[in-house]
Amino acid sequence: MQLVNRGEGRLFLSPLVIFLLLFLGFPAIVNLVYSISTVTFETLRAPELSGYGNYLDVLSDRYFWQASWFSLRFGIITALAECLIGLFLAIFLNPLLGKRPYLMAPLMLPLMVAPAMVGLMYRLVLHEFAGPVPYYLWMWFGDSPAFLDADNAFRTLVVIETLQWTPFAFLLFHTAYSAIPSDVREAAALDGAGGWTLLTKIELPLIKPTLIIAFFIRFIDGFRVFDNIYALTGAGAGGSTTSLSIYIYQAFFKQGAIGKAVAASVVLFIASLVVLYALTALGSRRKEKT
Amino acid sequence: MTRTLRWIVFAIAAIAMNFPVIVTLITSFKSAREISSNAGLWINAPTLSNYLSVLTDTTRFNIWLYLFNSTMAALIGTLLAMALAFPAAYAIARSETGRRVLFPMVVNLRAVPLIIFAIPLYMMYQWLGLLDTRIGLGLILTIVNIPLALVIFVNAIADVPVELDEAAKVDGASTLETLRRVIWPVVRPAMPTTFIFGFITAWNEFLFGLMLTTSKAVPMTVGASFFFAASGGGVNWGTASAVMIIGALPPAVIGLMMYKQIFGSMTAGAVKG
Repeated sequence: MQLVNRGEGRLFLSPLVIFLLLFLGFPAIVNLVYSISTVTFETLRAPELSGYGNYLDVLSDRYFWQASWFSLRFGIITALAECLIGLFLAIFLNPLLGKRPYLMAPLMLPLMVAPAMVGLMYRLVLHEFAGPVPYYLWMWFGDSPAFLDADNAFRTLVVIETLQWTPFAFLLFHTAYSAIPSDVREAAALDGAGGWTLLTKIELPLIKPTLIIAFFIRFIDGFRVFDNIYALTGAGAGGSTTSLSIYIYQAFFKQGAIGKAVAASVVLFIASLVVLYALTALGSRRKEKT
Repeated sequence: MTRTLRWIVFAIAAIAMNFPVIVTLITSFKSAREISSNAGLWINAPTLSNYLSVLTDTTRFNIWLYLFNSTMAALIGTLLAMALAFPAAYAIARSETGRRVLFPMVVNLRAVPLIIFAIPLYMMYQWLGLLDTRIGLGLILTIVNIPLALVIFVNAIADVPVELDEAAKVDGASTLETLRRVIWPVVRPAMPTTFIFGFITAWNEFLFGLMLTTSKAVPMTVGASFFFAASGGGVNWGTASAVMIIGALPPAVIGLMMYKQIFGSMTAGAVKG
């Protein structure tokens, strides 16, 4: 029986589709048009088509590549760190958490706090006079590094991002790990598989799909990072903390370089489509296997 | 032995991950004088003066306005997303329409850096007069919330046996009636989770608040950063800490109250999407 006919289906979809067209479709077109135009804040309504000059500007801009490299490194390193620590915690703490679910609460709290707010909080945590971290480092070691200067900022931001988002990977792994049926473990134990063999030969392969998904989600979120970096450093430190998102924001708001900002947006859009396509391809291959 | 080790690892993880919140909470109860003399993690003379001054002295920074703006924009952004996603989810779960193209596209939205759309949206808002309005901010937060709402609703509806719909149809119910009487009661339990998760996401959003508001509609995340831009004399860390705690409190409290449910939806969205 046809439960929902074609016309009704379309009717039910139409509010969502219209909304998306207005708030994403229209902006996408504006992006494309502006990216091949000469446009300033004065000529917003009458942009003059001028070819691919904006793209040349962006692709030959050293800072664009610096920002891309920052985002790529930041995304990969934080995703890896979050997944490794999250996996360790999920497995190591499993006996503890299984019986006491309330212990999950403090491990979940970081996910509830706005990244922008966390960025602001670290201004205090790392502040040379008011912050406890430099305070104790001075007290114990007689020295404290400048956490946010050009040399250290990247590492500092990686640690901050990792501390906030490891819980996300941890939660996914915890769920997947707890969902492994006990008879699988028992059967493996009967066959003589002990701790390490059980982990590497049985358990990890079983939660591998979750590992891959968590890595990709965390990579994508790390790649487009904006809030906490902007709130913490204002993207200062000599441009060493400028992610791609911050690059676009600054090109537009600080420099008024609309064409360049928009062209960078289009480049970023294409890049994310490529990543998403790869992810989807990976996902469908996985489904065929199982 | 291993048990003790597990507890130690748990404690270290919990403290390290929540460290900024812990430090800010402690600092918010210190007087300005104590902060300048003692940056450590203990308080000699706890005081509520920071909270009092932040909540009562609104001449320069109106924290009540920021809280109100965040609440309103998050409400719009969550409820509208749910209202748009619910009928769409029904069509996607029960017909061929939208399943192939629209659904994966919307789900993947979660992974697209939204800064891509920010510049044209800024211009569009300028034309429409939506800059610095709560409604304008709420509309953008809707975009942020649509993917998860749609995933949750589609999954929930897909779990309803088709036979129920068929039985309703046989009894002569229209599609709209089926939606209201058969689907809605079954999906209703998913509503609070979707709402709370969406509300937290919307409340914590920063980029669009930063770009699209300047004074009247500034949300809490952006407003909190104003407390650091204080002119002269540097930052007043005590009041700034109180502001950060107040701003972080609503999502944290709601989140911890509902952490089991949120946990479920988070993993559902991630794994099934």
